[in-house]
Amino acid sequence: MKKTTFIIVLALMSSALFAQKKTTTSGTINFDATTSLDALPKAENKTVVAALDTKTGAIAFEAIVKSFSFGNPMMQDHFNSDKWLDSDKYPTSTFKGKITNFTSVNLKKDGTYVTEVTGDLTIHGITKPVNTTGSVVVTGKAIAASAAFTVKLEDYGITSKAIEGGKVTREPKITVAVNF
Amino acid sequence: MSNSKSWIKKIFITAVIIMAGTGIAIWYLFTQKFEDINNQKAVYSLNALDLIKEFQKSDSLANKKYAEKIIIVTGIVTEIESADTTVNIKLGDTATGSYAIFAFQHQNLNETKNIKEGDKVSIKGSCSGGAYSEILESEFITFKRCALNR
Repeated sequence: MKKTTFIIVLALMSSALFAQKKTTTSGTINFDATTSLDALPKAENKTVVAALDTKTGAIAFEAIVKSFSFGNPMMQDHFNSDKWLDSDKYPTSTFKGKITNFTSVNLKKDGTYVTEVTGDLTIHGITKPVNTTGSVVVTGKAIAASAAFTVKLEDYGITSKAIEGGKVTREPKITVAVNF
Repeated sequence: MSNSKSWIKKIFITAVIIMAGTGIAIWYLFTQKFEDINNQKAVYSLNALDLIKEFQKSDSLANKKYAEKIIIVTGIVTEIESADTTVNIKLGDTATGSYAIFAFQHQNLNETKNIKEGDKVSIKGSCSGGAYSEILESEFITFKRCALNR
């Protein structure tokens, strides 16, 4: 009897833990490093893995660097080369953090909620803290989360003559959008 | 004197040709676009489960072999994820949770409308490589610029 009760409790705990973690494998990240001199350095990654813990507000992203699709083949080659993201050596970029004001987001009530996000972003093998604002839109059982922020390429060990020459911005805009 | 003028003329013409050639090459590189995947020849053609197994065995070796290559993958649709302007089709290994995911190119989004889970499909796309997901605790392999293989 005790054994049966223990198994039932364990099963309920497991299902509760599973239920609080929502995931998607089709998040999008847009990378925009365009300048007035060059409109080519921008790309989109449509196959980002993302997770949201609906109890704690913890969020995480994983993106394969080579999944960033550029319109121009040369630009995509540069982006992946050892002088830029070096995607052979550092194949993924990740973010691990949390929505710090998650208590103000009511996932049981439709609406748009402004969020404060903080966490660690790893690009090019270098991890730096990121703080930004975002939004969570609740529509029925659907949760759409998005955030936009800039990163300093220099902070992630990425320097180039194209940056010095103004063809690639020093602080590209990163836009993340996920539907859970 | 006339011999010297002739040399200067030759050097000038050569310089102009080099400059024009360089200009055309730069123009070509900066205006070049990816060719439609439908018109590109696949380097490999294989079953989704076999591809997943190869990445599970060693994703570094599999990445060297498949990344940035045009590949045709055949398998059973396990999930379709679509948003406003994107449709991703997953061919997964239900036993391990690992999967290959195909982001369809804009001009081929319409052809995904009639596809449903359980269908057998053959998809051509540019392999972006794979990695182990700490979030999902499984291997994921991603493809970009995809279309149904005809």
